[in-house]
Amino acid sequence: MAQQPNHPDAPKSKWPFLLLLTFYLVVVVFPFFWILVTSFKSSGEIFGDNAFGVVPENPTLEHYASVILDKGILRAVWNSLIVSFTTTVYIILVATFAAYAISRFEFKGKSVLLGLVLAVSMFPQMIVIGPIYNLFIDLGWANSYWIVLPYSSITLPMAVWILVTHFNQIPLALEESARMDGATPFQTLFRIVFPLAAPGVFTTAIIVFIIAWNEFVLTITINSQSEYHTVPVAISFLRTQFEILWGEVAAATVIVTIPTLLIVLFFQRQIVSGLTSGGVKE
Amino acid sequence: MKKMGLREFLFILPILLLIGVFSLWPVVQSFTYTFFDYQLNDQTKSGLYLNERFNVDVYNETAFYVERFLDRSDITAEEDKQTVEQVVEKLNNVTSQLEGKEGVIEIDNELKTDIQESYTTTSKAIETLSEKYELQREQELPALVKDLDNSLIESNFIGFQGYIKAFNDDRVHTAFINTFVFTIVSVAFELVLGLGMALIMNKGMRGQGFIRTASLIPWALPTAVGALMWSYLYDGGYGIVAKIFADIGLIAEANDLMQTATGAMSAAILADIWKTTPYMAILLLAGLQTIPKSLYEAGSIDGASKFQQFFRITLPLLKPSILVALLFRTLDAFRVFDLIYVLTNGGPGGSTETLSIYSYKAMFGQTNFGYGSVIVMIMFVCVAIIAIIFVRVLGTNLMEKN
Repeated sequence: MAQQPNHPDAPKSKWPFLLLLTFYLVVVVFPFFWILVTSFKSSGEIFGDNAFGVVPENPTLEHYASVILDKGILRAVWNSLIVSFTTTVYIILVATFAAYAISRFEFKGKSVLLGLVLAVSMFPQMIVIGPIYNLFIDLGWANSYWIVLPYSSITLPMAVWILVTHFNQIPLALEESARMDGATPFQTLFRIVFPLAAPGVFTTAIIVFIIAWNEFVLTITINSQSEYHTVPVAISFLRTQFEILWGEVAAATVIVTIPTLLIVLFFQRQIVSGLTSGGVKE
Repeated sequence: MKKMGLREFLFILPILLLIGVFSLWPVVQSFTYTFFDYQLNDQTKSGLYLNERFNVDVYNETAFYVERFLDRSDITAEEDKQTVEQVVEKLNNVTSQLEGKEGVIEIDNELKTDIQESYTTTSKAIETLSEKYELQREQELPALVKDLDNSLIESNFIGFQGYIKAFNDDRVHTAFINTFVFTIVSVAFELVLGLGMALIMNKGMRGQGFIRTASLIPWALPTAVGALMWSYLYDGGYGIVAKIFADIGLIAEANDLMQTATGAMSAAILADIWKTTPYMAILLLAGLQTIPKSLYEAGSIDGASKFQQFFRITLPLLKPSILVALLFRTLDAFRVFDLIYVLTNGGPGGSTETLSIYSYKAMFGQTNFGYGSVIVMIMFVCVAIIAIIFVRVLGTNLMEKN
């Protein structure tokens, strides 16, 4: 089965693969397609005769109007943008320093630090929720954007891990000559290493952004007020109504999928590189 | 390479602070919670009280009212007068020791005995007196007097009782089994399907970019959003996937999908497979692309069939990639929360309740942080065991990169 890429294979043996590939794509894409169709159907159609029809009989934007105007879904998108962006910026800063130290300096406890980072990435997230909830209540930080700080427990390990891999690929010689010219470690980091590591740093930023964008448990427990809800939490509240309005659910899903779709479209190369340098490349 | 000096230490100080405060301290704290009957909505249990404590204000207030109620001119019989005096004396004995103190304090055993004595004396006195006299608010008095005793807050340290309770809790057993079934079935499917897809994608056909984009979207989509999407597709009345499953005979009725135990579990697993298989495929594809082509050429010259090439070349060389992907996927599946919370919330009848869902419900539904933490700690131990097994199998592969 395994075969070298781009091999000029006999065309007919490709058909089964093409068929499988098509089936795979259909399965992956179908839920999105169906949600998109549903978002334009009227409630009468969704809960009636046309529930399983592929074409909306009377296309309508009522669900979009409802989730945007009444349910404030854009507020959730805005919150998610703020929270994810802030997390990305400070996590990248902290992780860059740490990863640079791990990659370049020899110091006692380095393997302990690496082991710690790995261990934190394996924690069940639920383990930090109780104490952090109490801490935030005591500090009066519940229902605020301070929530980005505990986001570190899910984003920091991944960020350090990817960045260390990238720093290790940058040759030492450049830094050594910079050092001989009298540059301080901070100068070396910002003038020499950072520009060279920029692609890796950017990759890491994208991954961190996505992880922060998808965070759920911390926000639902600590930021219980709807004005601080992020996209995943706001979406989950559409589910917990007595009667689920699938039209609104569909419209909201379409709206919140757009940012994810854009990120994937523009940065798929970085995402794949980030995911794979997180552990697969030997 | 340098020795660690102050400047090097400054590089890692921020990460140490963040990990320390928001990852390690909470773990230690959670561990502490497990030894206490720690319930936020119960005044006497809403903290970690290692020692017995005493609420001065409650006691003083109660003592004040008791004395007022007993200060009556119509109590004339000598023995009754003595009873009242005795009560007042006991109460004053305690209140005089409490002078200048307020709020909740720690007390020694001597004071504790005095407090308990004052309570027993008072409640006996009230009992005998209320038989002879028409006391003010006679109905409410016993409850008021009980406050003298209630002002003593017992320690809520319970040692290992939380763990013992959890080991005998059927709901924990069910959640444990559910978590395992979910993890093993979903990860097994994801590995096989993901490997298959990786092999197909590795054939380097046209449209790679599109396939990759399509594969990344389910992974990048927030789990809660994906789960809500699936809960519509699974809906018994209007969901198309439920209808298709019923039409092709997988389930008897469309409603069965979310309303039977196996149906709901399969639905959750299916949604997880949909979300994660593409991710698995991309990880394994990256592994596949590092295998030198020359190996396959050499293999085919030696007359190895495609089948043999797969088992003799691809699988052994892909092993590290597979193990790393498996490790992270297994841990992720074991910790599953968002997906099930949104899709089924553990239902129907607890049939999809995983350990993380149960611990969340215990902590934030019943505000029982103590017991919730016990369940989390059980999860923590399981995760540690899984990780250790994988790291043993992986050997030093994971660390030697650095």
